[in-house]
Amino acid sequence: MPTLTLLFGMPMRTAVAASTISIIATSTGAAVAFLHDRLTNTRVAMWLEMGTSTGALTGAILAGYLNQRFLFILFGVLLAYSGYNMFKTRKAELPGEVVPDRVSRRLDLGGSYYDRLLGKRIDYQVTGTLPGLVIMYFSGAAAGLLGIGAGIFKVSAMDQVMHMPFKASTATSNFMIGVTAASGAVVYFARGDVKPLVAGPVVLGVLLGAVVGARLMVRMKTTTIRKFFIPLIIYTAIEMIYRGIR
Amino acid sequence: MMTEETHREAPSKHEPIEMILARLLFVGSVIAAILLAVGIGAMLLGHGDVASRLVTIGLVALMATPIMRVLTAGLIFVREKDWLFALFCLVVLCALAVGILLGHAHVE
Repeated sequence: MPTLTLLFGMPMRTAVAASTISIIATSTGAAVAFLHDRLTNTRVAMWLEMGTSTGALTGAILAGYLNQRFLFILFGVLLAYSGYNMFKTRKAELPGEVVPDRVSRRLDLGGSYYDRLLGKRIDYQVTGTLPGLVIMYFSGAAAGLLGIGAGIFKVSAMDQVMHMPFKASTATSNFMIGVTAASGAVVYFARGDVKPLVAGPVVLGVLLGAVVGARLMVRMKTTTIRKFFIPLIIYTAIEMIYRGIR
Repeated sequence: MMTEETHREAPSKHEPIEMILARLLFVGSVIAAILLAVGIGAMLLGHGDVASRLVTIGLVALMATPIMRVLTAGLIFVREKDWLFALFCLVVLCALAVGILLGHAHVE
């Protein structure tokens, strides 16, 4: 999005609309490969989407009433902390033995996927089910309040609080972001912010990129993906704190 | 598009939800990609009007896909009498509907 406004000097609203539809393209294009590999945990996704969708709604309603600077700094610091946690576990290919909590057992959230790289089936359990939902609510609210794609919070929560395998976390997060983006995109569309001749080429490019990227990711080592992810978290954290202080 | 499916779980009476949703998302993205590509092609050939219409339909198809995905997941849960998860889908759909009706975009 900054690229669109800075490089092409287009109006902010046109850029925001195009980038929101691009999020749907990323989510949808990549999800096909992730679902085929069973990386996406659809039950976890539906459970957590309750948090993200209601959170996004709350955030959108509250936007304008809360101090944005403070929120940027708050979420930036939280993100930096989660980046630090991820750095500590950077060598872990898979989480250790996880004991599911009561809600997770009741909802049957555990999953199983075939890891192409390790060449074996990975069975996993999920814990921290309620804290996970609460974090999703706030990550949805952050998206609504600050206009940031909160996928990065979602991955961290599933990885560090719910102790899901990293690949399953990224795939499930990717699956979820499309839904919140879709409701935003419909609103932009109704407002006439979507300029087809601007959005079309961008979205098509992102869609094709997502299909290719997802096929690469399912073949990558978790520790390699983390190496891409940690700098991204740190960068986003610094950028958010900067936007708060500036 | 089909990957090796030798690593399936124990067969259930229905096709697994992941495969149904994967097909839905696949169809959605292929339709969108074709409409966008043809639309952009028309734009390059100087048919601005047609181009803009085709691209718009492509974008709408893409926007509708995730919402259809929640709806479809809900229907699958109903079919499997998994009422709790059907309810979760309903909550999500309601939140989306309220957001759209209020006209609050999640980025301002």
